[in-house]
Amino acid sequence: MRSDYEVVVIGGGHNGLVTAAYLAGAGQSVLVIEAREVLGGAAATEETFPGYRIDTGASHAGLFRDEIIRELGLQGHGLEIIDSPMSALSLTEGDVLRLWRDPAAARKEIERYSSADAARYEDFLAWVEDQASIILAAQDRAPPDLGSDGLLRYLPGLAPWSRLALRLRRMGRKAVSEFLRTIPISVEQLLDEWFENPVLKGVLAASGVEGTMQGPKASGTGLMLLYHAANGYPPPIRYVRGGTGALSAALADAATKRGAEIQTGLRVEKVLISDYRTNGVALSNGHQIRCGAIASCADPRHTLLDLVGPPNLELRVMRRVRNIRFRGSTAKVNLALDRIPEFNGVRDVSELTGRILISPSTDYLERAYDDAKYRTWSRAPHLDMSIPTILDATRAPEGKHVLSATVRYAPYHLEESDWGSEREAFGDHVVAAIAQYAPDLPKLILHRQVLTPLDYQREYGLPEGSIYHGQMALDQLLSMRPIPGYGRYRSPVEGLYFCGAGAHPGGGLTGAPGRNAARVIEKDLRRR
Amino acid sequence: MTELYDVIVIGAGHNGLVNAAYLARAGLKVLVLERREIVGGATVTEEVFPGFKYSVFSYVVSILRPEIIQDLQLPRHGLIMLPLPSTLTPLPNGDYLYRDDDHYRTLREIARHSVRDVEAYEGYGHAMYFMAKAIKPILRMVPPDPNSLDPRELKRLADLGSLFRGMGDGNLHTLIKLMTMSSADFLDEWFETESLKATMSASGIIGTFMGPRSPGTAYVLLHHYMGEIDGVFRAWGFAKGGTGGLAEAIASSARSFGAEIWTDSPVEAVIVGGDKATGVALHDGTELRARKVVSSLDPRRTFLDLVSPDLLPADLVADVGRFRFRGSSGKVNLALDAAPEFTCWPGEGAHLRGAISISPSIDYLERAYDQAKYGEFSHRPFIDIVIPSMIDPDMAPPGKHVMSCFVQYAPYELAKGDWDARREEFGDAVIDTLSEYVPNLKDILLHRQVLTPLDIERTTGLSEGNIFQGELDLSQLFFLRPAAGYAKYRTPIRGYYQCGSGTHPGGGITGAPGRLAALEILKDLGL
Repeated sequence: MRSDYEVVVIGGGHNGLVTAAYLAGAGQSVLVIEAREVLGGAAATEETFPGYRIDTGASHAGLFRDEIIRELGLQGHGLEIIDSPMSALSLTEGDVLRLWRDPAAARKEIERYSSADAARYEDFLAWVEDQASIILAAQDRAPPDLGSDGLLRYLPGLAPWSRLALRLRRMGRKAVSEFLRTIPISVEQLLDEWFENPVLKGVLAASGVEGTMQGPKASGTGLMLLYHAANGYPPPIRYVRGGTGALSAALADAATKRGAEIQTGLRVEKVLISDYRTNGVALSNGHQIRCGAIASCADPRHTLLDLVGPPNLELRVMRRVRNIRFRGSTAKVNLALDRIPEFNGVRDVSELTGRILISPSTDYLERAYDDAKYRTWSRAPHLDMSIPTILDATRAPEGKHVLSATVRYAPYHLEESDWGSEREAFGDHVVAAIAQYAPDLPKLILHRQVLTPLDYQREYGLPEGSIYHGQMALDQLLSMRPIPGYGRYRSPVEGLYFCGAGAHPGGGLTGAPGRNAARVIEKDLRRR
Repeated sequence: MTELYDVIVIGAGHNGLVNAAYLARAGLKVLVLERREIVGGATVTEEVFPGFKYSVFSYVVSILRPEIIQDLQLPRHGLIMLPLPSTLTPLPNGDYLYRDDDHYRTLREIARHSVRDVEAYEGYGHAMYFMAKAIKPILRMVPPDPNSLDPRELKRLADLGSLFRGMGDGNLHTLIKLMTMSSADFLDEWFETESLKATMSASGIIGTFMGPRSPGTAYVLLHHYMGEIDGVFRAWGFAKGGTGGLAEAIASSARSFGAEIWTDSPVEAVIVGGDKATGVALHDGTELRARKVVSSLDPRRTFLDLVSPDLLPADLVADVGRFRFRGSSGKVNLALDAAPEFTCWPGEGAHLRGAISISPSIDYLERAYDQAKYGEFSHRPFIDIVIPSMIDPDMAPPGKHVMSCFVQYAPYELAKGDWDARREEFGDAVIDTLSEYVPNLKDILLHRQVLTPLDIERTTGLSEGNIFQGELDLSQLFFLRPAAGYAKYRTPIRGYYQCGSGTHPGGGITGAPGRLAALEILKDLGL
């Protein structure tokens, strides 16, 4: 580690590593500083139990952008993607619904529930793909500046967006209004307009509430369904061989091979500022590093309120940062198992290779959310499970398996209680919820890890346990992300940039914020 | 052959009447056809019990466009506005929150609950005032069509864009927040006092099937704030003689310009010849001819009942089919032997002359919504109460009172039973809730009228009992109201127009859709 770099990246989460790899590739000298010993942030794989490689954050990489894999040549850096034929298996009382990736197979399965819905399914897929392609196009660029004072400043930022608008028009006579209409509707309404069967709507609604503290009746959740359709629909399940952390490792390798340095186990304490611009960072070991630009993939609140600090921020900016709604909703229970549990109604192990969902209806999801609204965890939780070891034996000792259950809703703030004292009771509760559908599960459990929103905040730096660094609500997207007026990766402090999930287009294991930010930073550095 | 009218307006709700008045004022021969025996639609006063008169459905006037009052000379036709100067929120612990038109007293009262909120209250007031003023032009605007590549449409979109940009980025962001956030979240950014937030958010949920924590409700907050910009604090008020007094005034104005208004004349269908509306057929078989036909009914009735859907493009039929009504409110009208005695504020004080809101906390409102979203009416509902007889003595016999309770949530579709079987149970829930704040209520209760969403639908014709002719959520506003491509008051059938709350800018006693539709019709006639 030197004492002088062109760019310091705060945080070795996947977005930070993406930014580092792109900037290093463009010839900048880059240092990544990660507080934990493990790289990847919420895209990490850890040996939580001896012999088991556990995904402590994201369980798969289905949303990761293909162009990043291509542009950084990640396959040459050890990345191996394993595609599952299954998108989601929905557990219901006495039956399951198998949502295969293959439309014909899924359609046949839906036929068992409703032939009307089966008949509309492929039209729905086409509609989602159309709408999602608009969102996808919007993810690749910095959002337009809203309400800038001068038209001249306004136009250049708008130009790529007007191409998007034209493309939208080409999609059909009413495509613009159809898309505008879709943005604010709830995922429940969206699905009600297409389907009648509650089980089908339940499984499809799950991606609309992923990562958010909202029920399926909330405006904006329809948009989240489309957000999760960026790499195809129904959402593909892509495991990374060796665990999600292997993706971070591939990114780290790509960055270091391009000349970046990565330092783990060190914390950035302060962003150093002189003459209203950043010129370095102060580290937890007492050292200072000089640099021309800082890219922070830490969340925006920590970045601005803790690392920059109030005296260097306008009051208006402070207020906006404080008003960011984080609202973690997600907990995770990781189980090491003696063998694959037997789920009621499942005929073949291949059916367990995608998501395994407890999401039997939209009302079930809404009720799970109701509890969280009043600050308790869901009595009947919505679970999004996976058993990655079925397709990837490298993650567990021979014959053993891992089941990871993402649990919603687990609110950060608990009424008259705290996560420290609730953790194990919560873990028991989740195991009992799974056991309703897999009665033999409890006796197969060899180890158990419970990660609460509080753990995610403390250990992984996710504010209030928000896996998306701030709720993806309509007023916290595009130019309003992370805070209004600073949606183009440049923070209120000159030379400091956002490159994490708190910036456009937002959360999930996409790499998109990191890639977009790198482009902006590079442009600014070249201009200097 | 019957005589030929220039325009026939279907429905004498306030928007139909405003529409007719504007058209008659331009010299057209106008006929308004009303199904019921009285005019007004949901804007009616009726003597439900002998001596007791009620604004049966809508009960306060706030967002009536001032230009309509002027253009139609409503004061000359008997419109007298009476102030509704205060809001009382009784609290379960025996305390209350009281705000009125004495600004400094209101601030002192808020200070009793939170000093911090006093400062926020001023800032909030300024911000909302600015927002309301900034988007006011939109309410006066015929929505542009974002799908069209017509240069005139693009220019209008550009004009809209510059209106937004002209606000400055800070205000534009506040506007986006208002358009998308939940009222609870929006108010959380300003205030800490639960009862204050709850009472303010209550105006964001009125008429919608959403809770204060549902994204999108902050917009309705602004929608209701519009009324305040032309007057002082909470320029909400009563029309003397009830809201029916307002309908009568508009009707009188329309007649003075030469319009005819027929009551007891239900329209069966719009007659279409070729691709053009040529008149209407009444329920009794009478056919009336007109050059233009305007429907002030909601989109479902306008497009699916009055004309055959076969005559309409498939996309419009589909859009109207998915247009959401979802009535969420009921009304309970009480006749009282004496003034109600509130535990938190005994005696006949100023508080009884204003609005009284049962909205002690956000959680209270949200729980009321939770019950409704699974198909049950709220057992502890949000209630917005006014006692018009306190201000307008003609409404009740001497010493006695009428108490109007707007109740939410009452879902149109019940999960258990039906409304005809459960009407009184719903009434009981309201009385029980009120009795917690007014212990003498049951002793002074003489009569009660319980109106469920089903009753509202049956009496007024509003589909699913939705008081706004369709929910006021982002996916059903502006150029999407009632459907993309059909938001300019015209329909695919030549000579057939729409002018109800199901068109831009939406529900509430605004008269704006009626007026904007009239101006478009006049434009088509070259007048």
